[in-house]
Amino acid sequence: MKVEIEVNNSTDPKAQFVTWTPCPCRIRVTDPTGVTASTVNLRIAATAAAAGGEVVFRAGTSGAFSATLTVQVPTSGSTVPFFAAGRFGRASTRSGDATIQARMGTTSVGTADVMVRIRKNANALTSDERDRFVAAFAQLNNQGAGRFSDFRLMHTDESSPQAHFAAGFLPWHRAYLLDLERELQAIDPSVALPYWRFDQPAPKLFNRDFFGVSDSLGAVQFSAGNPLRFWTTDGVQGINRRPFFNTSTGRPGVRTEAQTLALGGGGNLYRLFRNLEGNPHGTAHTSFGGSISSIGTAARDPLFFLLHCNVDRLWAKWQRQFGRANPAQASAYDSNPDNPVGHNLADSMWPWNGIVGGDRPSTAPGGALAASSAVSAPGPQPRVQDCVDYQGSVSAAARLGFDYDDVPSA
Amino acid sequence: MGDSTTAGAPSEQQLAALVDTLAADPDRRHELMDLLREDHAFYDQRSTTAISRMRGWILLALARFGLPETALVFVLEELSTGVDAYLVAAAARALRSHPAPAAAFAPFVMRALTNVRNRDEPVSFDSYGDYAARDTGTSAVRELLATLAWLGPHAAGVLSEVEALRTLRGGLFSRTLRLDVDRAVAAIRDADRASVPAADSCCGVSDNIGTSSWVRDSRRDSRSIEQAVFEDHAGAAVSFQEFFRGHASIVVFFYTRCDNPLKCSLTITKLARVQKLLATRGLDDRVHTAAITYDPGFDLPERLRRYGQDRGVRLDAGHRMLRTTDGLEALRRHFNLGVNFIESLVNRHRIEAYILDAEGRVARSFERIAWDEQQLVDHAVQVMNEERDATAAHAPKSGCCHRAVSSAGR
Amino acid sequence: MATKRKAAKRPAAARKAKRPATRSIRQATSLATSSRQDVASRLSALAEMPMTGEDDAHLRAVLAVVVNTSEPIAVRLAALQTLQTASFSSAAFPAFRGDYIAALRTLTQDPDPELRQRVLGFLAREKDGFAQKKLLEGLRDPAKALVPPEKALQLLSYDVHAEAYPIARAIVSKPPNPTARREALRLLAADAKAAPMFERLLRDKDETREIRQISAAALQATKPDTLQKHAREILLDPSEQDEIQATCLTALTQFGNTEAVAGDTTLMKRIERLRGKASSNVKRSARQFLTKYGR
Repeated sequence: MKVEIEVNNSTDPKAQFVTWTPCPCRIRVTDPTGVTASTVNLRIAATAAAAGGEVVFRAGTSGAFSATLTVQVPTSGSTVPFFAAGRFGRASTRSGDATIQARMGTTSVGTADVMVRIRKNANALTSDERDRFVAAFAQLNNQGAGRFSDFRLMHTDESSPQAHFAAGFLPWHRAYLLDLERELQAIDPSVALPYWRFDQPAPKLFNRDFFGVSDSLGAVQFSAGNPLRFWTTDGVQGINRRPFFNTSTGRPGVRTEAQTLALGGGGNLYRLFRNLEGNPHGTAHTSFGGSISSIGTAARDPLFFLLHCNVDRLWAKWQRQFGRANPAQASAYDSNPDNPVGHNLADSMWPWNGIVGGDRPSTAPGGALAASSAVSAPGPQPRVQDCVDYQGSVSAAARLGFDYDDVPSA
Repeated sequence: MGDSTTAGAPSEQQLAALVDTLAADPDRRHELMDLLREDHAFYDQRSTTAISRMRGWILLALARFGLPETALVFVLEELSTGVDAYLVAAAARALRSHPAPAAAFAPFVMRALTNVRNRDEPVSFDSYGDYAARDTGTSAVRELLATLAWLGPHAAGVLSEVEALRTLRGGLFSRTLRLDVDRAVAAIRDADRASVPAADSCCGVSDNIGTSSWVRDSRRDSRSIEQAVFEDHAGAAVSFQEFFRGHASIVVFFYTRCDNPLKCSLTITKLARVQKLLATRGLDDRVHTAAITYDPGFDLPERLRRYGQDRGVRLDAGHRMLRTTDGLEALRRHFNLGVNFIESLVNRHRIEAYILDAEGRVARSFERIAWDEQQLVDHAVQVMNEERDATAAHAPKSGCCHRAVSSAGR
Repeated sequence: MATKRKAAKRPAAARKAKRPATRSIRQATSLATSSRQDVASRLSALAEMPMTGEDDAHLRAVLAVVVNTSEPIAVRLAALQTLQTASFSSAAFPAFRGDYIAALRTLTQDPDPELRQRVLGFLAREKDGFAQKKLLEGLRDPAKALVPPEKALQLLSYDVHAEAYPIARAIVSKPPNPTARREALRLLAADAKAAPMFERLLRDKDETREIRQISAAALQATKPDTLQKHAREILLDPSEQDEIQATCLTALTQFGNTEAVAGDTTLMKRIERLRGKASSNVKRSARQFLTKYGR
């Protein structure tokens, strides 16, 4: 007998990725040879390679997850749903290092290789994870000729009001990072965007094999085999980044994570929490001289995306800690009547909406937001509200398909 | 302040002195128009910022003695696509020296306000090459608002947009500027001025400003360029003759390192829309389109392809993005391109689109002012239909603000 | 009977976290701009200044500290950073930006070199014509230099349309120091016409590793086929530097013409031998290359 296991309700290899958030799966009998009963009991479990990801299961949309799950599956070929998730704290380190297996008795009747793909602290990546990420990023840049040029053009002085100075700062950047991450995953599906935890030293990040070491001039130096040495933006090769702190032992003078999470005040209000846009976000940017320290040039430095990944992680952590995932909840967003266009919950966001002119910039580089084989949200033209409930804890369909290593599922 | 000097070329101060001399002589003032041609030798090997200083000074010179009609297109060009505060301020001031305000100017002024409001800075017109190091009492936005006040009731068509500036969120307008907005609004609403007849006949702004047409017999032949060779977005070689002969073509010019999103990026985005319009009318096989880069050394096929694809451009045998591999000078002459260079990089160019007839000759040109997609397609259809009606002569369009049709050919 | 619900306990970390100083903008500005306060208190106030509201009065007050040469330099630099941070987050900044730029222009002549450098850096990133003129003047006449030549070249490279190419070529021929030469070459890499020079530099074994690597990247941008040809020859040359071979391997792995490379059996054999070579950089690059090509 054989069964087929669908992860994210798909057999597409690009969909075989899970996070901490429950993802819908299905199992069905594809070949009932050797079974005469109309149903069969199957035990679903996962195996993990050493240091690989661990997957847990449950039958429905609620309840605890466990290492194994028994399901009764019709031999007619009808599907039976179940849910899988990565066990919190046990992310994969490479593609396919976890296997979901279905057994009938002691016989394996079907498998699906998966990856518990999680956004991690850049300073804690394995060398393999680091090299794959760097290779994908350099490929996306492709010496200035690659798709990365669109991401660079999305973040300029002209477009800055679309993404800054108002409530939509966090959702806009969440969509921006997600778009970039999905483009990276189109190059290498095993890659997830890491974050620069800027309130801690990150010597492994500021390393020639990773994001480089700046010389006294602020010219970033890479090892000979690091493809980021070919990084080119605006027709100019190289990265200018001059840290005002010791990148081997120190950190920028930003608010700590605990201080940042407390920004929401006694009521844990988004309208107060979003002041992280100043410190730590702005302070992290300006703890360097060089491209990253001006809005118009910041996206020329790839570190920008890891900086913002941490900003997004802080938001995610705040949302999780204080239950602020529901965009309809007043404390979860700042629905100010004075919000400019693009910053209201129901507003679509430039550039993905393709709207130009008027209050929007004159062009909209990059087109629609990249799709994912694993999830359908936030859609090609996301609205602000589509980027709030990233784990789908309020509405499962809102799940965006990423999680952070230290932010569990709601 | 000292100015830049390139070896053998007149210095900026010499140019400024020449401009002042020409401006002061009523019999030579018309020569200033020639200095505004992008391909003028004065701009060769100059930086973009130097060119802004130079062109701004010429516009200010024109403003001192009244803006002639032939200079209007340069002023409107700057208002429509300029992003340099000094140059836009100079254009706004120059417009106020036009013999009479016209309603048609108002949209250009509003467009400039949108373009420059995130890049505003104090400007100084006291002497050539001045950069404001303090509040000088004026800036690009202040000059534009003053121009709106000058337009008075002629700007009634944009009154609601001007009033909206008062409540513009995002702190874009300081208290001083809000007073300027109030003054502009008051001037627009001024009942006493409303009785003054509008100068909206010829020499306000013609619908076809920046557009030129050539009757068949007057077009420069294409023999000098027929052997020019291009490489397209897929790396295929094609000669001018092979691609452009036998059908009408729409040609635009651009380069991927253009840092003014209102020029090249928008041009290519609009080209994509032109292609869709052609397809809608079933003309995409009969009218070819081409985007030719000014920067063939850098804009290799992969860059061309990515740039086009990211802006929705259709790429196939009849619709290509091209770089010249042989015959660049012939190309420049054939199209009389409005571009100049610093080394191999473009330092200044105008917006330019052309329609070629079936013999590869320039039949229409659309320069400086942003062209309309539908207009472009309509003209292409006219040129395409010439072959069907070879006996009908296309009379040159009458009215001012057009380049005179030359019987000697282009 | 309704059960009295216990209020959800906030996580321990949140309970313990000290709330950031919730000074108002007015309080923070007053503290930061008062010369009667000690430097540490002023620095703290600047670091924590809230970036809210649309009134730019606090930004102007902080700017006044930056331009005041009698203020301690640490406070001036911190104030400058506060304003830079505000550029990312404060709704008041757009209205303030023009005056900020105008004020920064005066600071290009500031006696403090670090302040000058930061100010010129910001202006250069804005492609400010004033800053470009000053930087070029300093390169042409060292007596007028506001920053070292290598820094001037680096800042000019923010704008590929700046007029730095002639002086960069002159510096390549007659460099005041090696770093200036390096930055001049990096700047020249934006000019497609400079490709022949970079070809020559790439193959010159007497050149430094850094210059040769910049040359490889420059060629990859404008003449990728040419780089591929040279990369092959470099890899086949056993006397070549390890670092250059690793760079060439990376270029071929990331950007090479896959079909041409895959069919090159001589090259493949050579790289398989390099996989066993002692230098870790070359080994690693060779492994990545061979993984890509399924070996």
